Amino acid sequence: MNIFAMLWKNLWGGSRTMLFPARPKVSEGFRGLVRFDPALCTGCAICRFRCTARAIEFKAGKGEFYWSYDPGHCTFCGRCVEGCKAHALSQDAECPPVYLTIGALKNSYTVARKPPAPKPAPAISPAAAESAVNPVPTGGAQ
Amino acid sequence: MNLTTALARLLIFPGLLFAVPAAWFFLWVERKAVALMQGRIGPPFMQPFFDFIKLLGKTTPQRSGVAGLLMRLWPLLAVSAAAGAVGLLPVLPSSGGFEGDLILLLALLELPSMCIIAAGFSSRSIFGEIGSAREAVLSVSYNVVFLLAIVSIAASQHTFRLEALAHLPASPLQILGIAAILVCLPAKLHLNPFSLPNAEQEIYSGPMTEYAGPELAMWELSHGLEWVAATGLVATLAAPHLTTWWLAALVFVVLSFAVVLLLSALAAATARLAIDTTVRFYWQCTLIFAVLAISSALLMRFRS
Repeated sequence: MNIFAMLWKNLWGGSRTMLFPARPKVSEGFRGLVRFDPALCTGCAICRFRCTARAIEFKAGKGEFYWSYDPGHCTFCGRCVEGCKAHALSQDAECPPVYLTIGALKNSYTVARKPPAPKPAPAISPAAAESAVNPVPTGGAQ
Repeated sequence: MNLTTALARLLIFPGLLFAVPAAWFFLWVERKAVALMQGRIGPPFMQPFFDFIKLLGKTTPQRSGVAGLLMRLWPLLAVSAAAGAVGLLPVLPSSGGFEGDLILLLALLELPSMCIIAAGFSSRSIFGEIGSAREAVLSVSYNVVFLLAIVSIAASQHTFRLEALAHLPASPLQILGIAAILVCLPAKLHLNPFSLPNAEQEIYSGPMTEYAGPELAMWELSHGLEWVAATGLVATLAAPHLTTWWLAALVFVVLSFAVVLLLSALAAATARLAIDTTVRFYWQCTLIFAVLAISSALLMRFRS
């Protein structure tokens, strides 16, 4: 008979579902839409490699690259965000919005490749530095 | 009952003009009540009507041959039978009727179920055939209790006229009969825990699997009309005899509504039973009820 007590409680306890366009509150760490920051992206394409749903598209070009994200294909697994070492990807902590046109939420970016960072000078040992200042004459040259 | 009265009962009250909106209303009440008891919002008030209109606007797949013709025929036959059953209910005081109309009502109430069985087999779908087989087994099981309940009340009063039965004063046999009919209604209306024929999670929607568009709309309508007829039968048997027509109509509607709520609560509280458990339940019920009903009917006949 517990079931009838439960039904009675449900009857007067309000609804757990909600009418559109109200959205449910989400918990901490909720994985929503993927956001892309072109300023931080290095164009490594690891996100495309990790995206098994093929929501991320990446095309390399000369001096630039094309990156796009289609939430219609996304399963919101978060593997792209997890794998991005440059922290160029993040996820919204809210439910994705409702859309009525196919591809309405699709985002595309054409990003110019950054010039490669200058290589750091190799570390020089004190002995090598001294030999550079007072070079040891070689016999063969004289 | 003259022709005008018969047509008025069939087409206006409690016939089509009342029964079709009432069917949509009862379908909505059932869905809404179950939703509220499960902590959901449930459908809006006009949803069954919108569903009906939407289905009417859809196209149906082309079906050739006798099977196609039969598949179009069964839902229309079910709607006609259910509407006829509602039209026969003696809701208003001195509404006429004829000797033996109880037998006709029982036949009309059973016809939609027969149509569902035939429709499932006509569709040649494996899900339809399983659903139809389940419906047939269920129908054989619950109808013994259902028919015994009504026939024992009728036999005790020496009449098969519905109006005479509706105006009976409350008696233990009548209460027993109404209780037995209530036990059968979930199976007749395919509600939990006896929703085997249209078990969506197992066999899609059973005999209705191959139906779409206007034909499915007719099935939905016939299901709604079955609701009105079945709950109306309980309401007419349970309602006290009233001479004012509007009060009688109001009591009929209120009692039918109460039965819908009761069945909805049962549907929300229970899960679907397996076919063997269902059949065992009804046959055991039959055994107990058969002894009670027949002995009570015999006692009442000897007393009168």
